[in-house]
Amino acid sequence: MPDDIRFLCSLHNVGATSSEKSLTIEEISTWIVMEPDKVTENLDKLIKNDYVHMSFIEGARKYHVTIDGIRKVLSMYS
Amino acid sequence: MKVCMLTWEFPPRIVGGIARHCLGLAKALVKQDHEVHVVTLDFPGVAMFEDVEGVKVHRVSINLGHPNFLTWTFIFNHFMEKKIAELDRNIGFDIIHVHDWLTASAGVASKHYLSRPLVSTVHSTELGRAQGLNNPDSYLIDGLEWWITYEANKVILCSNSMRGELENHFRVPLEKIAVIPNAIDPSEYARDVDQQAVRRRYGIGHHEEMVVFVGRLVPQKGVEYLIRAVPLILERNNGAKFIIAGDGWSRSHLENVAMSTGYGDRIRFLGFISDRELAELTMSGNALVVPSIYEPFGIVALEGMAAGTPVVAANVGGLADIVEHDRTGVLVYPQDPESIAWGVNKVLTDPGYSQWLIRNAKKKVEDVYSWQAVASRTSEVYEEVCKG
Repeated sequence: MPDDIRFLCSLHNVGATSSEKSLTIEEISTWIVMEPDKVTENLDKLIKNDYVHMSFIEGARKYHVTIDGIRKVLSMYS
Repeated sequence: MKVCMLTWEFPPRIVGGIARHCLGLAKALVKQDHEVHVVTLDFPGVAMFEDVEGVKVHRVSINLGHPNFLTWTFIFNHFMEKKIAELDRNIGFDIIHVHDWLTASAGVASKHYLSRPLVSTVHSTELGRAQGLNNPDSYLIDGLEWWITYEANKVILCSNSMRGELENHFRVPLEKIAVIPNAIDPSEYARDVDQQAVRRRYGIGHHEEMVVFVGRLVPQKGVEYLIRAVPLILERNNGAKFIIAGDGWSRSHLENVAMSTGYGDRIRFLGFISDRELAELTMSGNALVVPSIYEPFGIVALEGMAAGTPVVAANVGGLADIVEHDRTGVLVYPQDPESIAWGVNKVLTDPGYSQWLIRNAKKKVEDVYSWQAVASRTSEVYEEVCKG
């Protein structure tokens, strides 16, 4: 499984599946135990494919899995 | 009867066939005077409770996450258990009906603390999906699948091939198994569709043939073998174009395979599309290919048959029950691009033969695969287990 898809699964499983539940890079890094640079690299790829959305919330960049991203994750296990 | 149906996917949270199966079955059970409560997971933008044509849908919010998928499933099952307990205080369920291992833990727990019978529908097995138990996660999932068949008072399977699989792998006693096929609603394909407009939308010219694949882009669906068949199909039908609808973790690999054939411009990946678009696409194809390596049932083949599109399917699992070779479709060897190309070319080059397949296929769908028939047989299972 490609690294970015594995990362997408982890982001989904920690609950970042809507704008209210979106997380900063630092929070993601802590949750899934990954260096922030690597987190950023994966996020950039996933945003390009519309699987992750970035929004500014209270001045911070926060990220959550989109509906297409959720389906991508679920497709692995169904 | 008051039924508590557990499923991790329910529309619009659609991943594979389970969501559509649960919706179709639940609606048909309601028509037969059952009270059906579906307990499922939340989805962005959807109400936490809704009434879908009489089906009460209760969505559970997962207020805790974990990066590990299996841990996450145990967490959401815990939230489901709490929801079932809360609902049961007012409703008093007669039966718990679990769909697949993902909600096994909540189903088994509810069976014991509510002292109610448990029915389990096993839609597929990890052994089949992963083509072997190759890692610790697969072993754990396999164990959970065994557990739910052990705990269930009755196990519902969708095809004879699944019955063989569970009998051999989990040693489930035959008397505990009921084989009830999947179904579809043929009325979804009864509407008028401007097929030329649909085909134009996907870049198909007037004299070009459209070959369609619909499904998740994961290895078990065998899409790679269809893509490898493309050059062979084009040798005989040089106007053919290939539309691949769906998404999954192997998409980027499959896109690379498509480019490597030298005919990447003939193969288009659509990603996820809406149900309406999906129906229109299926109705407008010249052939629908189901090249699966493992397929417990194969509802996509039924959809193609109902949509009036000739089906070319791999001779595996439930597809062999649904598609009668040379009568309701064409069966080909699995994992064999040459055989797939042979099947596709057969329907593309002989319109009279295709029409014959379409007529037979539509009749079979109407006669055998209706939701009312499936609901009647499921009701019989409910009655049997409630009698003890």
